[in-house]
Amino acid sequence: MEDDDQQKTLDLVKELVHRLLSHNPTAPNNAAQNPNPTDLNNSFRYAVRILSSKLTPSIAPDADAIAESIKRRLATQGKSSKALSFADLYNKFASKTGAGSINNKWAVLYLLKIVSEDRKVSQASQNSALLLPNLTLDDREIGGDSRNSRRGDKGWENGVLVVAKDPENLREIAFREFVDLIKEENEVSEEVLVRDVLYACQGIDGKYVKFDADLDGYVLPENFKVPRSTRTMVRKLCELGWLFRKVRGYITDSLDSFPTAEVGTVGQALCAALQDELSEYYKLLAVLETQAMNPIPLVSRSATSGNYLSLRRLSVWFVEPMVKMRLMAVLVDTCKVLKGGAMAGSIHLHAQHGDPLVHEFMKSLLRRVCSPLFEMVRRWVLEGELEDIFSEFFIVSETKAKESLWREGYRLHSMMLPSFISQPLAQRILRTGKSINFLRVCCDDRGWADAATEAAAAAGTSTRRGSLGYGETDALENLVAEAAKRIDKHLLDVMYSRYKFKEHCLAIKRYLLLGQGDFVQYLMDSIGEELSEPANTISSFKLAGFLESAIRSSNAQYDDRDILDRVRVNMMVQSTGDRGWDVFSLEYDASVPLNTVFTESVMAEYRRIFNFLWKLRRVEHALIGAWKTMKPNCITSNSFVKLQGAVKSQLLVTLRQCQVLWNEMNHFVTNLQYYIMFEVLEVSWSNFSDEMESAKDLDDLLAAHEKYLNSIVEKSLLGERSRPLYKSLFVLFDLILRYRGQVDRLYEGIYELQAR
Amino acid sequence: MDPEAAKTARESLELSFQMSNILDTGLDRHTLSVLIALCDLGLNPEALTVVVKNCAQKLSSSPPPTPASSS
Repeated sequence: MEDDDQQKTLDLVKELVHRLLSHNPTAPNNAAQNPNPTDLNNSFRYAVRILSSKLTPSIAPDADAIAESIKRRLATQGKSSKALSFADLYNKFASKTGAGSINNKWAVLYLLKIVSEDRKVSQASQNSALLLPNLTLDDREIGGDSRNSRRGDKGWENGVLVVAKDPENLREIAFREFVDLIKEENEVSEEVLVRDVLYACQGIDGKYVKFDADLDGYVLPENFKVPRSTRTMVRKLCELGWLFRKVRGYITDSLDSFPTAEVGTVGQALCAALQDELSEYYKLLAVLETQAMNPIPLVSRSATSGNYLSLRRLSVWFVEPMVKMRLMAVLVDTCKVLKGGAMAGSIHLHAQHGDPLVHEFMKSLLRRVCSPLFEMVRRWVLEGELEDIFSEFFIVSETKAKESLWREGYRLHSMMLPSFISQPLAQRILRTGKSINFLRVCCDDRGWADAATEAAAAAGTSTRRGSLGYGETDALENLVAEAAKRIDKHLLDVMYSRYKFKEHCLAIKRYLLLGQGDFVQYLMDSIGEELSEPANTISSFKLAGFLESAIRSSNAQYDDRDILDRVRVNMMVQSTGDRGWDVFSLEYDASVPLNTVFTESVMAEYRRIFNFLWKLRRVEHALIGAWKTMKPNCITSNSFVKLQGAVKSQLLVTLRQCQVLWNEMNHFVTNLQYYIMFEVLEVSWSNFSDEMESAKDLDDLLAAHEKYLNSIVEKSLLGERSRPLYKSLFVLFDLILRYRGQVDRLYEGIYELQAR
Repeated sequence: MDPEAAKTARESLELSFQMSNILDTGLDRHTLSVLIALCDLGLNPEALTVVVKNCAQKLSSSPPPTPASSS
């Protein structure tokens, strides 16, 4: 079969040569002439040689493209009617399929095209023998030897012809030399370079342009001879390839390392967005590639139609992709080491750019990148859930006991806070989620879910995924504000109504801060003697019994049972030599969730105040007791009748001094008591009540309570600044107590005297 | 060849001839048909054009052969 084909081919070729040589329409007589047999044989041998040497065409077999270029050429030559009829014919030609039709239509078209071009050229050159030859300065392809020598022959022919007649010979020679020089330099044709550059821009090594790892770029190796300008241009265009490589490398790296939790969801979103951009870029490259294949007359000598896509055209096309790719490469560099919210923040910084193109591009990237972040915010704010496997969120949780859930359970991680979420907003977000968790864990409350859905409805988003995006920071703020408002209100409601926060505060004030006067009086009366014993002999059970009786005998019995249960006796740490007075204190038992407010340190402060107030009361109690014995009565006034003059006067003087002293002490203690009780405690309490009314969330409440406590401590001289004063106060108290002792003894003596 | 195929072939040749006329290639029907056959057999069209050019050259450069010398 192959031999058959070969034989057929040879026969056809022979036939062709015969016909071509015999058919000469430019001969004056149009009759078919018999060709020279030697000519015939030579031609035939030549034809066979040619046909068996070059086996592959230099262009791609695309019939449509060739037809397009033919049409275009006809149109540009001004023969538009011919172009139309050609188009018509081609359509009909192309539609002929099946048996008996031509398989390689493209070959036929190509053939026609080139033959017609050659004819034109040869006609033109025949007509203008003396004109300068049609120098094809673009004709830089790798020519066959025959063509080169032929050209040279022709040229030299002309040159020889002209030298005798034309003074323009110099110019011709110069042109010739230039063309030769260019031929020398251009080992590689422009189309091939263009194709290589297109490959390089996708990260693939072309035939000549390869990636050089040392120089870190796509270069044309030195051993290929191309003019310097071309080399520079190729280098510039390949920058796009280098940038592309960098971006693609980042994407593949991130996607590979995703399971090892280096990258995280935000990084993944960024990779997805970058991949979309790259696919746009691929589309552009595909279009350019089809354009590049627009046929080039490789075999012709004409200079009219060069390749559609030259390096220069390519550089114009690449301007916009270059900008985008540069942006992406810059982003990739900054984001390589970042994660989560920090990554979003740095991209946001890049987006603060004046150029609208850059701004738009960054915004669209950011919208994709921030969607996992916003989703996390939404979940946190509406459900209190932190789903953060890769620790990208700016709120971190730490497992702590229930009491410290509010204060220390969650905190802001400022590294991961993106820059478009301001600090106050972040605080609010933190507080809202914290409240939900607090309600759920400490208060066993389920009502917050309704509040959350209400909030979402009010803010116009839904409680489902994906309803927020970047650039809608307002929407986010709105949502957070609504959620915060409702949840805070709910929390405060729960605190006040279910857990009766206000009542507990009041109770503390009444019992620990000795607000309930009659109770304190009874207590003091009953345990007064007990406490004078050494501390280690006192049992707290007995004291508890006294406490109960004191409560029952005062107005305190009408108080809520739950509150009364929490008031307990607490014996502090004892050292040797302590009396009961030193170690006795009352305490209030606050449970979850109230111990968020009344923490250990807060209770310690209360204890300190209690101690001070208790001491004060004791002193007051002592003085009142002294008055009971000292007040002038018939016994004392009548006692001096029996005494001698000098003793009597001395006694009287002493007694008077006692009275005066007592008055002074009493005055002092009363005023101090008044100051503490009214100026300090009551005023602070009323301030605190006001603030409790106006508190909007638990943080406010905590702050108000802190302030209340601090003001009490400061004003009752327990603070740092009043330390010397405090010391002198204690000295005074000691004095008063000693005085009491002395007065007691004195009056005992007097009564004894009286009794005798 | 069945008549359908023959018809298709004829029409294709006709169309090709008209296209070649528009493009002013100077090829006549017979030559064109030979060329098309050669193309269809898979030969390189560039090589064929070289052959055509060569022969055209020979024709234009060599003096017209005398009608007497034929073998």
